Amino acid sequence: MKFSIFQVSRKGGRKVNEDRMGYCYTRKSGIFLLADGMGGHPQGEVAAQLALQTIAALYQKEAKPEIADVGAFLNTAVMLAHHRILHYSTEKGLPDAPRTTIVAALVQDGCVSWIHCGDSRFYLVRQGELLVRTRDHSFLEQRRSAGGSVIAAERRINRNVLFTCLGSPIKPVVDVKGPLALQMGDRLMLCSDGLWGSLNDADIVYHLTHKPVLQAVPDLVEKALRQGGKNSDNVTCIALEWETPDGFESTLGGDSAFTVSEGAFASTFQADATGAALEELNDAAIERSIAEINESIRRIAANKS
Amino acid sequence: MSKVRPAPLPPDTVIGGYRIVRKVAAGGFGVVYLAQDAQGLQVAIKEYLPSSLVARPAGELLPQIAPEKLSLYRLGLKSFFEEGRSLAQISHPSVVSVMNFFRENETVYMVMNYLEGASLQDFIITARDLKQPKVFRESTIHSLFDEILRGLRIVHQHKMLHLDIKPANIFITDDNKAVLIDFGAAREVLSKEGNFVRPMYTPGFAAPEMYRRNAAMGPWTDIYAIGACIYACMQGYPPNDAPQRLEKDRIAIALARLRGIYSDNLIEVVEWCMSLDPLSRPQSVFALQKELSRPGARRYTKLTVGEKVRLQLDTMIADTKKTIHKTPDVGKQLK
Repeated sequence: MKFSIFQVSRKGGRKVNEDRMGYCYTRKSGIFLLADGMGGHPQGEVAAQLALQTIAALYQKEAKPEIADVGAFLNTAVMLAHHRILHYSTEKGLPDAPRTTIVAALVQDGCVSWIHCGDSRFYLVRQGELLVRTRDHSFLEQRRSAGGSVIAAERRINRNVLFTCLGSPIKPVVDVKGPLALQMGDRLMLCSDGLWGSLNDADIVYHLTHKPVLQAVPDLVEKALRQGGKNSDNVTCIALEWETPDGFESTLGGDSAFTVSEGAFASTFQADATGAALEELNDAAIERSIAEINESIRRIAANKS
Repeated sequence: MSKVRPAPLPPDTVIGGYRIVRKVAAGGFGVVYLAQDAQGLQVAIKEYLPSSLVARPAGELLPQIAPEKLSLYRLGLKSFFEEGRSLAQISHPSVVSVMNFFRENETVYMVMNYLEGASLQDFIITARDLKQPKVFRESTIHSLFDEILRGLRIVHQHKMLHLDIKPANIFITDDNKAVLIDFGAAREVLSKEGNFVRPMYTPGFAAPEMYRRNAAMGPWTDIYAIGACIYACMQGYPPNDAPQRLEKDRIAIALARLRGIYSDNLIEVVEWCMSLDPLSRPQSVFALQKELSRPGARRYTKLTVGEKVRLQLDTMIADTKKTIHKTPDVGKQLK
């Protein structure tokens, strides 16, 4: 199994980044996850974190090194995550349960299967064409697929209103799709609505097609944040390029391509729920850093003499 | 991703009161120049100029950064500061020292003492071309790594890891001092920004945990690289990289060939440092220093006839494979 992968999550104009992402893999199978904790309910980031941890834990238990029944696994894992969130909410005596979306893609035997609940999306781009895109569980998308007048609907219906998610008292609605055979060069992407809300599909397909994922992902995220302006939603994106099982060196983004070796198990999930937002350096911070470094240099020099 | 590298500053450009003499090296993070200060003292100046994020036409001073690259550029700047900050705190003859840090041309510059000499990599290549059974004498290896380990111990005491120790980053000055250079990959042990800028690693010298995300890196990670450097000083070539070793570990066989040429003690130390399991390695530089400086006669065990035959068979099999796997150069950086 060989693939290149890159993931980025950045805070928009919101107080907290409630998006969570990550992936883990064995030598024969890999799962990629993204959850977007919902605002308007308490502790969305906790719901997102719990969902990812629950699914990742189940995956680590069952991927030995493959998942026996992928469809059943995805269903079970998402339901388990839902119950884990409800359990957390009763345990803590919260008046309202925290909620989150989820999207997961599982790759094994050269095929991908995916599941989603809510409006976090899965994209599969092949040779410049959008092959797969999940349909959001939103009222807007529901209207669209029913053939209703989209333009009128877009004006009335807020795209952010979902009819299902994890953590709500109603049993979540999920869509499981696949398995779909992968071809070399296929781009798989999971993203939060912060990304697709600001960029259109053509734009997303263009970036994924024309750049290695390690450039496409940061570029897409940056673009979405800029389009979103100062009230931008948080933007999270994880994308991978499927490469041939083995045999030759990747020509794209060689530094992030890796082959999974025997018995290896890796995971990017961390136990704690801190979504350390990456703060950028501004001019004042740069000056401060330089001053600190020069102060250290002077001190050391003074000690020497 | 073929892209034109940003142009280096031309000779005689004056920045921060230093006059550029010439470019000495260029890497992913920036360019290193030989320069002179007002008193004519030679210094090395490292310019932050990540080639994947900025452009600079020849003859211009200011780097151009596309707006969508700006945040990554500033994030990279953080790593550059990390390097400066850590080096500024360390004053040791075996660790390259920072003399000044300044901002100009909308980027930043780090002034370091200029070292004259050659890298350990150059020495290994010269030595191995002599085709002697020993690449370096055992006593040379001992005194060289004694100095390097003293420096590395101070680095670790400052809660820093080098994370890219390899013969190309060990500099031997003309007055015979070994100095650790290029802390570009170094970062504070606790900082976790792996999502953005992945640490670069050099196959053969990078410990297996460097290939994994969020694996615990520690002094043992640098110690693996030290073991690999000693190995390169004995063999003349870098060891197999960690993923290859996880598949089929040939290090023990390769080291067995050196029995009788180098002492068992030294061979065992290399094996210990290069254990695939981080916990099986020396956990601190101090533990390694203690083992290396252990007094007592060196043991040499010659190979038995049976072992020699087995090794020879192994060579024949390995040679047929070599047509497929090309041996990489010592310390070639995978970017």
